[in-house]
Amino acid sequence: MYIQRTTNDNYESLIHDITGKVGKEMAMIEVKNVTKSFGTLTVLKNFNVEFNQEGVTVLLGPSGTGKSTLLRCINGLETVDEGDILVNGRSVKEKKNLRDIRLDCGMVFQRTVLFPHLNVMQNLTMSPVKLLKMDKAKAEEKAIYYLKKVGLESKAKALHNELSGGEQQRIAIARALMMNPKALLLDEITSALDPEMTSEVLKILENLAAEGVCMLCVTHEMQFAKHAASRIIFMDKGSMEADVTAEEFFSTVRKENERIAKFLNFIGE
Amino acid sequence: MYKLNFNFLNRYGDMLIDGMKTTLLIVFGCLIIGFLLGTVLALCRQSHNKLIKGTATIFVDILRNTPFLVQLFFFYYGLPVLGIQTGPIPTAIIALGINTSAQNCEIIRSGLMAVKKEYYECAAALGYGKVQTLQLFVLPIAFRLAFKSLVNNFINLVLTSSVCFSITVVETMGAAKIIVGRTSRPFEIYLLILLCYCIFTYIISFLAKLVDKKIHIVL
Amino acid sequence: MSFYDYANLTGNDAMQFLRAAGVTLYITIVSLLIGSILGIALGIVRCSKNKAVSALPLILIEPLRNSPLVTQLFLIYYGLPMVSSIMLDPYPAAILAISLNTAAFMAVLVHNSISAVPQGQWEAGLALGHSSASTFIHVIARQAFRLLIPQAITLYISQLQCSSLVALIGIMDLTKLGQNLALRTLKPFMIYGIVFLIYYILSSPLSKLARDLEKKLSFNY
Repeated sequence: MYIQRTTNDNYESLIHDITGKVGKEMAMIEVKNVTKSFGTLTVLKNFNVEFNQEGVTVLLGPSGTGKSTLLRCINGLETVDEGDILVNGRSVKEKKNLRDIRLDCGMVFQRTVLFPHLNVMQNLTMSPVKLLKMDKAKAEEKAIYYLKKVGLESKAKALHNELSGGEQQRIAIARALMMNPKALLLDEITSALDPEMTSEVLKILENLAAEGVCMLCVTHEMQFAKHAASRIIFMDKGSMEADVTAEEFFSTVRKENERIAKFLNFIGE
Repeated sequence: MYKLNFNFLNRYGDMLIDGMKTTLLIVFGCLIIGFLLGTVLALCRQSHNKLIKGTATIFVDILRNTPFLVQLFFFYYGLPVLGIQTGPIPTAIIALGINTSAQNCEIIRSGLMAVKKEYYECAAALGYGKVQTLQLFVLPIAFRLAFKSLVNNFINLVLTSSVCFSITVVETMGAAKIIVGRTSRPFEIYLLILLCYCIFTYIISFLAKLVDKKIHIVL
Repeated sequence: MSFYDYANLTGNDAMQFLRAAGVTLYITIVSLLIGSILGIALGIVRCSKNKAVSALPLILIEPLRNSPLVTQLFLIYYGLPMVSSIMLDPYPAAILAISLNTAAFMAVLVHNSISAVPQGQWEAGLALGHSSASTFIHVIARQAFRLLIPQAITLYISQLQCSSLVALIGIMDLTKLGQNLALRTLKPFMIYGIVFLIYYILSSPLSKLARDLEKKLSFNY
């Protein structure tokens, strides 16, 4: 299945794209029997999971259990050793698919970089203009829409070094949204930030979640998981420990599963 | 007491101006060659292919560790042996352009190395291909970081171009030498062109500072 | 003697290569010694707190850094005898020109290195009871020296290559010999190959040293 990208539409219809349901007959992201090792360290073992384009899924688990690696594999930044990942039916193993997969899955990193030679506006508009052949004026209009959404419309002319870490992450989220991804992959985007900045970023994410933007987050922010997540996947040592709704996770599962209880206690939840 | 006498300018001023024009021609020709070839060499040195990397490294290493004058003679006497007949000016531009490219290569390479993995990943995650990443992000960032050093290299290039008179190119220094032969006023003439070079390099530095203010970036 | 004998290299030519390499080394080393000492002196003057004093060396440094070494060489060799009674032979003229040129660049390196030592180091030295002079010698100069060395070596490499310009005032150094032999044998590739090789042998160990020292001696404040 190939989803034609329409660039002539106005941005509102494009924004609708991200919340709409795509491919009901199959999951948007299918992770099939994926194994991934770095040297002798196996970070993902025969991992299986499916994501539909709906709600917020939070990946939880101790550090080094392959959560980030999973996101990076989905986006094709790491190659899978065994198994396969299909994004809208396209395999990440095929190099020619990577571009479309990356357009489908916008990604924001823990240590995101804004391109230093471009100001905020240029950072936002360059990708739609260069990759989606969007009209520049339209791209700027759209950029202002998303800048408002992340509360930074006053910073359109700023350079990256004039922004705080939290502001940079908010711009990075807007930059990813500019490409109309089907889902956002968020890889510990608040873990390098101060508590104050963390809360401002999380607030943006909660707003987006409320609007129905599909997100896949690796995070250690339990409050965010409680408020925004619809589904929680708990991973430990490269395999799945639990795959439940957020309500179940914080009520029944945490009592029944010893590892999860231990983890939640450890991080003070 | 010796009295300075600049009367020769009446008669030979035009010759000196022509020489300066030739210097400009050589210098800007080399600027383009040096920049393009330097970038290519820097990218080759970053390549994962060992053959490409090794060849570029040896090429740059030899050029950087041997005098330009010898390289100039090498091309001047060597090219005809290979059956390539060119005038002194093209030979000078080729030799100096290649020499500059080796110097630029190192500077651009250090610029490239300052562009960390995160930038590549960010661009990849946005859906850019390798070539686009290079063209839109990596090279623009690297060039901006390297700008000051590239300008220093350019000034060096201007000064080095004066050596080209030794293969009969009549650039500024060549014209000066001819005028010295006709007027026997070496002190005035060499002093004059020494100052001309100074003024020219100051102009370049000044313009470079203006440009740098515009394009300066912090990582 | 046939033409081919004339065109071939002989044992005598090998000796000439050695002698020419010696000339290149001699001129380079002597010039670098004089230039470094003069450059360090100028560089220290540049660091003076008195603005007029610190600007004084610029009169010498700026023209030397911003004009071609050939022009400087010719000005000294051909120009100086016209305006004074100083008539220098090729060797002293070459050494004088390269020394002055080296001194100008060295002065800037020294000035930059000393300026790069943080102000806190001065205060620390004085607080420990050192006098200004003693602080400079024991605290500042040592650190500046470490910053200076790799850059100075890079300068030396560049000046080694610049020494080839003395061929233009008739000194039989490697470059001049190469040119003569290339014209005699009509084998420019072979001759210049040898000349490149000798320069490379003289220069590349210094390059490597500069690279290694830069890694080793650099420190973060």
